[in-house]
Amino acid sequence: MGTGFGVYNWNGRWTGNVSQDVGNPQLFVDMATSLERAGFDYMMMEDSSVLPNTHRGTFESSVKNGGTIRFDPVPLIPFLTQATKHIGIIATISTSFYHPFMAARLFSTLDHVTNGRVGMNLVTSSNKSAMQNYGLTDLIPHDERYARANEWVDVVKALWNSWDEDAVLMDEANGIFADHNKVHTIDFEGKYYKSRGPLNTIPGPQRHPVICQAGGSGAGRDFGARNAETIIAAVKGVEEMKQYRDDVTARREAMGLDPKGVKVLFLISPILADSTAEAEEKQAAQHAAAAANIDAQVAGFSYFTSTDWSKYDYDAPFPDLSKNEGHQSTMNDFARSGATIREAVMNHRVQESVPLLGTPEKIAAEMEEYMDYAGGDGYLVAMPVTRRNITDIADGLAPALRNRGVIRSAYTEPTFRQNLLAY
Amino acid sequence: MMHLGWFLSYNPQGWGEIHSDRGNHFPNPDMFVDAARTLERAGFDYLMIEDGSFIPDAYGQSMEYSLRSSFAAPKHDPMALVPLLAANTDRIGIIATMTTTFYPPFLAARLMTTLDHLSHGRVGFNLVTSHNDRTAQNYGLEKQFPHDQRYEIATDWAQAVTKLLTSWDEDAVVDDVENGVYADHTKVHTVDHEGPYFSTRGPLNAPPGPQRVPVICQAGGSPVGREFAATYADTIVAPSGPLSWMKEYRDDLRERLSDHGRNPDDVKIMFLCDFIIGDTHDDALELQRRKHDEQAQDPEKVLARMSFASGVDFAQFDLDAPVPPIETNAAKTTTDAYFKGREHMTLREIATSVNTSLEIVGSPSSAADQMEAVMAEVGGDGFLIGNPVTHRALADIAGDLAPELRRRGLIRSEYTEDTLRGNLRAY
Repeated sequence: MGTGFGVYNWNGRWTGNVSQDVGNPQLFVDMATSLERAGFDYMMMEDSSVLPNTHRGTFESSVKNGGTIRFDPVPLIPFLTQATKHIGIIATISTSFYHPFMAARLFSTLDHVTNGRVGMNLVTSSNKSAMQNYGLTDLIPHDERYARANEWVDVVKALWNSWDEDAVLMDEANGIFADHNKVHTIDFEGKYYKSRGPLNTIPGPQRHPVICQAGGSGAGRDFGARNAETIIAAVKGVEEMKQYRDDVTARREAMGLDPKGVKVLFLISPILADSTAEAEEKQAAQHAAAAANIDAQVAGFSYFTSTDWSKYDYDAPFPDLSKNEGHQSTMNDFARSGATIREAVMNHRVQESVPLLGTPEKIAAEMEEYMDYAGGDGYLVAMPVTRRNITDIADGLAPALRNRGVIRSAYTEPTFRQNLLAY
Repeated sequence: MMHLGWFLSYNPQGWGEIHSDRGNHFPNPDMFVDAARTLERAGFDYLMIEDGSFIPDAYGQSMEYSLRSSFAAPKHDPMALVPLLAANTDRIGIIATMTTTFYPPFLAARLMTTLDHLSHGRVGFNLVTSHNDRTAQNYGLEKQFPHDQRYEIATDWAQAVTKLLTSWDEDAVVDDVENGVYADHTKVHTVDHEGPYFSTRGPLNAPPGPQRVPVICQAGGSPVGREFAATYADTIVAPSGPLSWMKEYRDDLRERLSDHGRNPDDVKIMFLCDFIIGDTHDDALELQRRKHDEQAQDPEKVLARMSFASGVDFAQFDLDAPVPPIETNAAKTTTDAYFKGREHMTLREIATSVNTSLEIVGSPSSAADQMEAVMAEVGGDGFLIGNPVTHRALADIAGDLAPELRRRGLIRSEYTEDTLRGNLRAY
């Protein structure tokens, strides 16, 4: 299940004491314990480093209902892992903003603090305002961003390997804590990064924390296939799911890597209820609420696309913006579709690879069928973090999936990576 | 009254020493969680986790001594430990070290704002400029910037971070459910900072925490370091030494604070001391004698620390001759403390006898007498305990010494304020 450390459905229904929950870890702690009860592999925290004012040039749409607030997900990790024992926790970090030494050291430490249950979701950051927050003014071309990110990963992994497996002796009799012959400088000198090393931290239980990636362009897919243990994909329909999984397999094989070493998870936003009719009502109500507040939906879309759509006629066809340096592959899809801006925004509102609606049993059966067809490996649930949504998933959907034998009934391995790759 | 803190690193605590549990569970964080809970029961103001991003290799021009004896290495990132300590305590302050040379200001401001929320207003950041060339090389530079330039960078950094932390006005979050307004966008501003080293647009994409600007801690001893502290710090970590020096240091800082238009009483200067506590005063003297004997037999221990502070290889000098003058771009004040006034001594004499820190030695009662006397002479504001974090040290200091101080009304009997800054300023 994926989410950011933000504010969800403020002033909406079924949100509990959301005002008191702003910046409070408890909602997310509840989510982690619930998802662990349900046998989830991981909880992924997306992130952003900008308060958008793309829409109408003001921060109004950003702060009015708190929807774009994002706290740093990294310090939330220890809160989630101390309340759980097995589930993996992935936080998003930007390869553009973290120096590889800082990232390698921080996540090596987190690997200890979480007892081998941490991962990093790597993004390259394309938003101009986010870059300006970090004092970066030169927009880096899309493909070069991934070349830099690949080198960033190489530095991080070299640092994680700078202590041999048997370097730490803790030999009290001879007074030797660690063998200095087994701790090495890395002397990395790349095109974009330099680092001498070694890390001044001991490797954690996973040695390499899990790497996660999302991003569907060619360069993004190569980056994911090369570096990640889990990939998050947003596509449309089971055919595209199958193509995506096959594409990752082909890229891995071309690189001489085991295709099974990466798990591709497809985004879904299931609408669960006690009957299909009730679920349809729920969906209609959600759609009507969004349509009634089209401006808020467009504001979110303005940020996502780095374009102020308030200046356009919402009912005109979606223009061709394929030159946009931002989310390239997504923008091409919109231009091709021939939809109006209003339609595109409403369609984009829900990120789902396949529509899922109905009772837990019906949805579980469909999820199994689609996954069998696509050839792997799982789903990432993307829904606003409310305790009601968490319960729908953890106590409604997960038991139905477990009854079908398609998710784990117990965690069998000691670390996140091992559980992820266990099946 | 006096304030209390404990100065530690996320590194093996007293590895190889008796009563240390041998540090062999490291890097398991449970020991540090135990410490935070214990010190909270004792009414401490804060834990201060220092940090560094390199394995020392100046001494003997090798990492061998450092890794063999677990001296200043390994050292794990304190920012990963802070949330765990916050999750397991309710009132004590938690300060972690951050380097202004390598942490991007936006990342720093956003992380500290998030930690301020997660801890309900109990975090601080100790700002350092990183003195070692190895740190610079880990971050892709050839060598560290010159000493005074590091403080120019730190000043620009602190300005950028402070602007970001205050980019939401105090009354920006209105939480108006009736009109559907969580925050008023006219009270959230870009900061558009353009400094010589850093630029940032802002605002932060997270509302301010309970302290808005988390507590700032600093430890500079040089003139530029003191100016930086006088401008930004809420609490200052100072070395201890002769009482006259401590008093001069504190008076100088308080004068600088006044010159900056700040109330000197708002800033707590804490002196880092070693504590040797026994059941009786004589027991403590015996423990002190053993500690000094061990030091006398192990000059390497001090030589490695001299090399750490200065970047100079002290293995290259004749142990039985005086030391040539030492020039360093690294920790100037710490390095000078070893040699000032000892120019006539041999390196061995210095390494086996010099204790640059003040030692508080005694029973709970006689140690409390000494602390009271130090504060009376120096003027304030409190002590940092520099001992390794072991269960025995915690029992001595939190279990025996602190209750004695409390009986005398010298430390708090309860936390009266909601935030770290509030508790620091409560007396």
